[in-house]
Amino acid sequence: MARGLAHLSDEALVALVARADEEAFAELYDRFGRVAYGLALRVVRDPALAEDAVQEGFLAVWRSAARFVAERAKASTWILTLIHRRAVDLVRREQPRRAEPLELAPHPTGDDTEEEAWLRLRRTRVQEALRRLPDKQREALELAYFGGFTQSELADRLGEPLGTIKSRMFSGLASLREVLAQGELEEEGWREPRSTS
Amino acid sequence: MERAEIHELSAAYALDALDASELEAFEDHLARCAECRENAASFQAVASELAYEAEAPAPPQALRERILADARREQPKVVSLPRRRWAFPVAATAAVAAGCAAVGLAFWAADLSQQLDEQRDAAHLSEEAVAALAQADTRRIPLDGANGVLVVDDETGKGWLVVLGLEEAPSAKAYEAWVIEGDAAVPAGLFSGGGVSTVVELGAPVPEGAVVAVTVEEAGGVRQPTQQPVFISGEAA
Ligand SMILES: [Zn+2]
Repeated sequence: MARGLAHLSDEALVALVARADEEAFAELYDRFGRVAYGLALRVVRDPALAEDAVQEGFLAVWRSAARFVAERAKASTWILTLIHRRAVDLVRREQPRRAEPLELAPHPTGDDTEEEAWLRLRRTRVQEALRRLPDKQREALELAYFGGFTQSELADRLGEPLGTIKSRMFSGLASLREVLAQGELEEEGWREPRSTS
Repeated sequence: MERAEIHELSAAYALDALDASELEAFEDHLARCAECRENAASFQAVASELAYEAEAPAPPQALRERILADARREQPKVVSLPRRRWAFPVAATAAVAAGCAAVGLAFWAADLSQQLDEQRDAAHLSEEAVAALAQADTRRIPLDGANGVLVVDDETGKGWLVVLGLEEAPSAKAYEAWVIEGDAAVPAGLFSGGGVSTVVELGAPVPEGAVVAVTVEEAGGVRQPTQQPVFISGEAA
């Protein structure tokens, strides 16, 4: 990492990617590739499809970086939104076994890298926040975000009026936002590690 | 006629739970409704936190290679700055950028707006710059490497740099602004920095797709940049 990209913010990297900087793009992949793959895998439930979603999502990052507006969103949100959109498109098109448990091939957990520790910390944080939500709100969020169901499909599946589903998703995200914001206050001083390689 | 219900879709949008026709209608609506834009952005930030709830095994190394190769194949895709001269000056800006990087540009931008508001009374900004910042049809493009924005009036192409906390240029040196389009750099003004805020009315128009860069040069200015930029704007797309 001769250019010291590791010290740049995610947003600064996106600005470089907008100028077709390949090294900055590689650094962005190294920061978000793993969580992107985990997300895609959870949604599409098939390793080959998950790779497709990650590939298409990152290419969307590469192509549209010039349109990213740092004042409007964090780069991490923007990237994960692009990945998620691709994953949902794929799962709707291919219709694999949505919302069924996924048998993941075990992956080596022996030497815990800094990145793994960091991801585990974030994972725990979100899991704890979700646990504090009312069951029905959590269910709506998980089925929509990870199951890839549309709001109408969710209404059918859960046997509830569409309005109920909409308001569960709305209140669910609003409560999650609140719970996560509280957590952030409690963890002040807690920082994301940068380069891990 | 749009139904009032369309305003209720920001959560479903952030979760990608709209079908194709709902999505199209809502994105249409987003272009016109600031409140929904704000809701959607905030919900997207929360929804993307959910991504971390998925177990994340390492993706195959081959995927990384494939993605980087695809990107390389698509070069060049934008106005590209001559690599040798304009290779981004990471070393030069790392120290300055550290300030923004730590906070995150999104928050930093909000903070900047507030600081600018606070300074209006103190008359640190020229009336013209204040007017430009207040106009709806100017755009603020964040700077890389300095705490500030490039403000561009779309109609006239007129541009201003607004920078906070810019160090004074070294003695016998000056900051020189450049409007860069393709390979061409047009000189756009000299300034010295220092003070709480620096406002520079650019001496050259900022066309679409151009970027504005600033280098440190001899006090009288030079015809073409001889140094790496100390900061640079995003594209005035
Ligand atoms: Zn609206």
